[in-house]
Amino acid sequence: MPVYDQSYRRYEARGALRRTRFWPITREALRLILSKRTFLLLLLAAWVPLLGHVAYVYVTTQYPEVGRVAPVDGALFARFFEFQKYFVILLTIFGGAGLVADDLRTGAILVYLSRPLTRRDYVIGKLSVLMALDLSVTLVPGLLFYAVAVALAPDTLLSAELARVPFALIGQALLVSATYSLVGLALSALSRSARVAGLALFGLLTGLELVRLVLTEAFDLPLAALLSLQANLSRVAEALFGVESGAAVSWWAALLVLVAAGAAALAAIRSRVRAVEIVS
Amino acid sequence: MTAPLRYERVSRWYGPVIALNDVTTSIQPGVTGLLGPNGAGKSTFLKLAAGQLAPSQGTVQVFGTRAWGSPQLFHRVGLCPETDAFWEHLTGEQFLDVLLRLTGYEEGERRIRTGQALETVGLTAAASRKLGGYSKGMRQRIRIAQALAHDPQLLLLDEPLTGMDPLNRRRVIDLVKRFGREGRTVLVSSHILHEVEAMTRRVLLIHNGRILAEGEVREIRDLLDEHPHTVSLRARNVRRLGQALVGADHLLSARFSSDGEWLTVQTARPDDLYGALPELAIECGVSEMFSPDEDLASVFQYLVGRK
Repeated sequence: MPVYDQSYRRYEARGALRRTRFWPITREALRLILSKRTFLLLLLAAWVPLLGHVAYVYVTTQYPEVGRVAPVDGALFARFFEFQKYFVILLTIFGGAGLVADDLRTGAILVYLSRPLTRRDYVIGKLSVLMALDLSVTLVPGLLFYAVAVALAPDTLLSAELARVPFALIGQALLVSATYSLVGLALSALSRSARVAGLALFGLLTGLELVRLVLTEAFDLPLAALLSLQANLSRVAEALFGVESGAAVSWWAALLVLVAAGAAALAAIRSRVRAVEIVS
Repeated sequence: MTAPLRYERVSRWYGPVIALNDVTTSIQPGVTGLLGPNGAGKSTFLKLAAGQLAPSQGTVQVFGTRAWGSPQLFHRVGLCPETDAFWEHLTGEQFLDVLLRLTGYEEGERRIRTGQALETVGLTAAASRKLGGYSKGMRQRIRIAQALAHDPQLLLLDEPLTGMDPLNRRRVIDLVKRFGREGRTVLVSSHILHEVEAMTRRVLLIHNGRILAEGEVREIRDLLDEHPHTVSLRARNVRRLGQALVGADHLLSARFSSDGEWLTVQTARPDDLYGALPELAIECGVSEMFSPDEDLASVFQYLVGRK
């Protein structure tokens, strides 16, 4: 019978899982992404539309006659999000394409999942990276824009008619960020190459938008708007900011499509995130 | 005493392929070698213990808890995977720090444990070098360091000596033996009997997904000695290595590769060859060595045939 020297003694009872165990995953990925100068430039560029919109509000408050033609209303904030949406797409492509794909390619996913982490923690950690990036160009500049606009035109912004704007801002920022983050992460999980995942996301978004354009314009099929993520987000934004819309698609149908896209993305991520590649 | 690792009628299949077939065994503290040719089911065996795979049938228990779906077990389990799974942009120190952070350690403790793990595997001097610049042996050692940095009770090492030069091989073998002496449970897989024999006397033979035998390595070794043992060596001065070995009476054949970098020898007494290697490694610059899998496969065929 072997006799061991038993010099090894565990002196602490680590057993329970921590609540914020996803955070090191998020932190490390953000650290890597933000170490790239081009990415930082893109993040900075995403704030340029804010300056333009603030200038717009300033001009309308200084020159009331301009305000009559171009008023400060819910549509202004909805338009602001139209600009930010494109930055969200770019950030998701450049920041998110490799998030899971690189781990699958290098096998690093096994290193993550051989720690006291669940697959859910891993997904939340990676999703938080994209949410943080996307919210930094939607929610943060959106709320700042609102605060500056209130300072410049308090009577207009604090009126009952525009009381919904801050809530709409938060809602739309969360919806835009969550939609692109989930779809971006799913495409990253479906590939082992960041480049392929990035191109797939770009192709998916532009492809569906092109199909929508062709079907609505050439074939007069307005319901085709439901095919495009961008169009659905715009339709929901109109409803949230109280903008009158001539769209044939109702806002709840658009929201339903976005929820379905998010659920499909989650299912795809779930099927791909595992430590062991199963080849049957 | 309950065994730290228990398999109870465990089967695992991938589609129509059975990787593990009705395995029942238990692993006791100390070092156990999991021995079998490539494709025998060793990695599946380890991944089931590491909770990375769910058994198709049966249960795998680690410290009395089901391995699958119990991530809290990873406070007590260290897994050294067979493949490189690194973030190449990180230094060795940063790599361990991130993994300890994932395990839940605070900064001060992470620093201490990182230093200890690097020292244990002899990588303190390379701590601030990026992993992308690590040699094969260094990569293998940092892989072991990440498995033991959080001081696990159960260590699962999947082919930890693959591709290592003789000196690093010696170092890792000593480490594994030390872990065993300390009372940890160490399960180390290999397809090379002599590697396992250097680390432990207790082996589990696995073949075609079944446990073929378990017990003392000596019995297997006797069978192996009836077969010529093949070893391939890569050296800076491969001709000189050939000259040094060709006079040995245990040598049956020697063959140089066409690119002149490798020497493949067949020996009747592997112990003599392995005993001479550390000295030759320095003299001739041996940088890599491996034993072709067919060698062990033939022994397994022999064992299966005898049953």
